[in-house]
Amino acid sequence: MFKSRLLVLLPVAALALSACGGSDTGSASPAAGGDYTIGVSWNNFNEPRWAKADEPAIKAQLEALGAKYISTDAGSSADQQLTDVENLITQGADALIILAQDGTAIKPAVQSATDQGIPVVAYDRLIEDPAAFYLTFDNVEVGRLQAQAIYELVPEGNYVFIKGNQADANADFLRGGQEEALLAASGCTGPLTPKNPDSGCAIKNVGESYTDNWDPATAQTNMEQFLTQNNNKVDAVVASNDGMAGGVVAALEAQGLAGQVPVSGQDGDAPALNRVALGTQAVDVWKNAFDLGTAAAEIAVQLAGGTAFQDVSITADLGDSAPAAGSDAQSFTTPGGVDVWSIILTPVAITQENLNLPLDAGWITEAELCQGVKAGSVAACP
Amino acid sequence: MSDATTTDVQVDEGDKPQRRSPAGLLRSMELDPRLFGMLIALAVIWIVFNIWSDGTFLTPRNLWNLSVQTAVVGIMATGMVMVIVTRNIDLSVGSMLAVIGMFMALLQAEWLPQWFGFDQPYTWLITLAAGIALGAAIGAFQGSIVAYLGVPAFIVTLGGLLVWRGVAWWMASGRTIAPMDTNFQLLGGGSRGTIGGTWTWVLAGIACVGIVGLLINGRRRRRKFEFTLRPVWADVTIGLVGCTAVIASAWVINSYPMPPGLARKYAEENGIVYPEGGLNIPLGLANPVLILIVVGLIMTFVATRVSFGRYVFAIGGNPEAADLSGIKTRWTIVRVFMVMGILVAIAAAVQTARLNAATSGLGQLAELYTIAAAVIGGTSLAGGIGTIPGAMLGALVAQSLQSGMVLIGVDAPVQDIVVGIVLVVAVALDSLYRRRLK
Repeated sequence: MFKSRLLVLLPVAALALSACGGSDTGSASPAAGGDYTIGVSWNNFNEPRWAKADEPAIKAQLEALGAKYISTDAGSSADQQLTDVENLITQGADALIILAQDGTAIKPAVQSATDQGIPVVAYDRLIEDPAAFYLTFDNVEVGRLQAQAIYELVPEGNYVFIKGNQADANADFLRGGQEEALLAASGCTGPLTPKNPDSGCAIKNVGESYTDNWDPATAQTNMEQFLTQNNNKVDAVVASNDGMAGGVVAALEAQGLAGQVPVSGQDGDAPALNRVALGTQAVDVWKNAFDLGTAAAEIAVQLAGGTAFQDVSITADLGDSAPAAGSDAQSFTTPGGVDVWSIILTPVAITQENLNLPLDAGWITEAELCQGVKAGSVAACP
Repeated sequence: MSDATTTDVQVDEGDKPQRRSPAGLLRSMELDPRLFGMLIALAVIWIVFNIWSDGTFLTPRNLWNLSVQTAVVGIMATGMVMVIVTRNIDLSVGSMLAVIGMFMALLQAEWLPQWFGFDQPYTWLITLAAGIALGAAIGAFQGSIVAYLGVPAFIVTLGGLLVWRGVAWWMASGRTIAPMDTNFQLLGGGSRGTIGGTWTWVLAGIACVGIVGLLINGRRRRRKFEFTLRPVWADVTIGLVGCTAVIASAWVINSYPMPPGLARKYAEENGIVYPEGGLNIPLGLANPVLILIVVGLIMTFVATRVSFGRYVFAIGGNPEAADLSGIKTRWTIVRVFMVMGILVAIAAAVQTARLNAATSGLGQLAELYTIAAAVIGGTSLAGGIGTIPGAMLGALVAQSLQSGMVLIGVDAPVQDIVVGIVLVVAVALDSLYRRRLK
C-alpha cells in the first residue's frame, strides 16, 4: 500500500516542480489565470445540481481567467476520492477544488496536496482542516430561512423535522439553523426535540428523523409514520432538502393535506420550484450554484497564483449570493473547533412571491416551473 | 378457534393415533414449520411494537401503510427467490429499479407528451409496457452473460449495480423527473389509487372460495393418485384459518377510512353534503398491495405448477443432474433473470408512482433489502430451497421492523443496526433448524 503510494508520488513531485517553475511568471497578477490547471474532485455526480450549474460555472470562470479544468468523480465513495485527488495531482493540478464525500476522511488527501504546495478549496462541504479554504453557502442560514418561512405561516402547532443523512455535517448545520430561527422567533428556550414535548414553546416537535442518503422514498415512509403517529395533527414540516420535500408532499397528498401543511425545501430542484408555484411546497431555499462555482474558480486561480488564504478576495459580481460578511476571506470556526479561512455566500428563500429569481437566472424554464399551474395564480406563471 | 381444533382432533382419533404435540399437529396439517415460525415472529414483532407505540402500530391505518410500504421490496423478493434458488444472485435490482423508473418517468413526463400531450388515457399503459420490456431486456442481457459466458452472477450483477446506476443518472443528467402521469400515479396507491371498500370485500370473498376450492381439489387429486389424504380436521382447520385470516385482513383494511381532507374533496366532487362527524368511506386495498398479491399468486403458480418452476428448483438442487436429465439449464437461467427484470420493472412503476417522481438515487440498497427479505423468508443461499410466500412474509417482517421503529422514534442508524442483526439471527436460526433435520 505505502509502496504503491510512493510510486505514485514520485512523478507527482516532478510534475509539481515543473508546474511551479512554469507558472512563476504568471503569479504576479493573481486574477490572470496564466497556464494554471485547476483540478476538481466531485464526490458524486449523481446529484443533479453539480452537472447542471456548478461544473459549467467553474468551467466558464476558469476559461475567462485562462485556466484549464480537469475533474474526477468519486461516485459517493470516500476511498475513491482519496485516489481521485492523487490522480488530479498527478495530472498536474496547481490548485484543487474538492467537494468532499466525507469531510474527515478526505484529510489525508488534503495533507498530501498541501505537502506538495498545492492549495485546496473545500467546495460546498466543510473539510475540518485549516489547510483547506472553505467556500460554501451559509448552511446554517439555509436552515434559518427554511424555518423562518414556515414559522411565518404557522407560528404555533405541531412541527415535523425531516433531516438529511446523519453522516453529512450539513444535515446538522441545517437542523441547527432551523432550531435557532424557531427559538428566536417564538421566544422560548427549547430545545425542540420529540423527547422534550413540554419545552414551553408554542411550537411542538412531534417527529424528527435523519434520512439515509437523503432518500426521498425513505422520507415519504417516515412522513407517513409521523402522520400515523400523530393522527394527522401535523401543522408544518421542515424538510431539509427538495428531494425529501417531494417525498413529504407525496405522503401529505395521500392524506389530502398537500397544500394545507406548509413544507420547506432546499436546492431549487425543478419539480420543487414547480411545487412552490402549485402551492404544495411553501418555500425552497435556493443556493445559486452558478455563483458558488464562479467564486470557487476565482479563488482557486488566486490560490494557484500564490495568494495566501487570508488575502483571498472575490472580485466577480455574485448578485444576491454575495457574502454577507463582505468579499474578503473571513475566519470561520468549525464545529470541530478548527479555525479555517472561508468565504460564505448567502442563500435566498424562494416563495411564490419571488419565483422570478431562478427563472431570470436561467436556472429553470417557464415550462418546467409552470407545469400544471393555473395561469395567473402566481406572478411568474402568467 | 381452539375449540374447533380439539373437537376435530377427537373426530380424527378414530382414523389413526394422533400425537397432540404442536409439532405433530403441524405435521399432519402439512404446514411448513419455518413459515409457521415466521408468522409467530411477525406476531411477536407486531405486538411488541404495538405496546411500545401505545397502540398505534396495530391500528388499521398503520397496517394499511405497512402493506403499501412492503409492496416494492415484496414484488422484487418473489423474483429474487427464483434467482437464489438457481444458486445465483442479483445485486443489480436496486440500480435496475432506478434505471427503469427513470426511463418510465422520462417516457411519460417528457417523451410521450411531446407527441401526444400530457395526461393521455393510454400513456400509463404504454409506459408500463415499455418499462416491463426494458426490464425483461436487461434481465435477458445479464442472464445471458451468466448462463452462456459463465461469468458468475455475483460479478455480472455487481457490474450491473454500477452500470445501471450510472445510466440512470446519465439519462436525465441527474435531474429529478416529476410529476408522473395522473393515471400512472394510481399504480402507487396514494389518495386515489385504491380499489374501494366493496371490491375489497368481493376480493376477500373470491379468495375464500378459492381457498376452499383448492382444498377440495387437493383432496380429489390425492384420492385419484391414491396418495394419503390429509385428515379431514386438518383441511377444515386450514380452510377456516385461511378464510378467517382473509376476511379479517379485509375487515382491517376497510376499517381505515378515507382521510378527512380527501373525504371532503370527494363529497364536493360527488355533490354530497359533508356531514359533521365526517364521511366514513373505506379506501380499500391499495393498488400496490393488489399488484403484490397478484404477483405473488402468479409467481407461486409458476414456481410450483409450471414446468419452468420445476426446472428452476431442479437446477438449484443439482445443476449437473438437471442438465443430464435434459433440462435446458442455460436457457432456464436466462429466463429466471428475465422474470427478475420484469418484476423489477413492476416494482419501479409502483415506486415512481408512489413517490410521484423519479430520481437517479431511487432504490439505493433495495438489492440488499430484497435479498434480505428472501433470506429471512427461508430461501437458502446454497440454492434449491425457497418459497415465494416466505419471501413476501420476509419483506413484511423487515418492513414491519423499519416502520415500527420510526413510529416509536428510533433514528436511522439504530434502525440499520436492528435490521442487520435480525437478518443474521433469522438465518442462524434457520441453519440450526436445518441441521436438526439432518
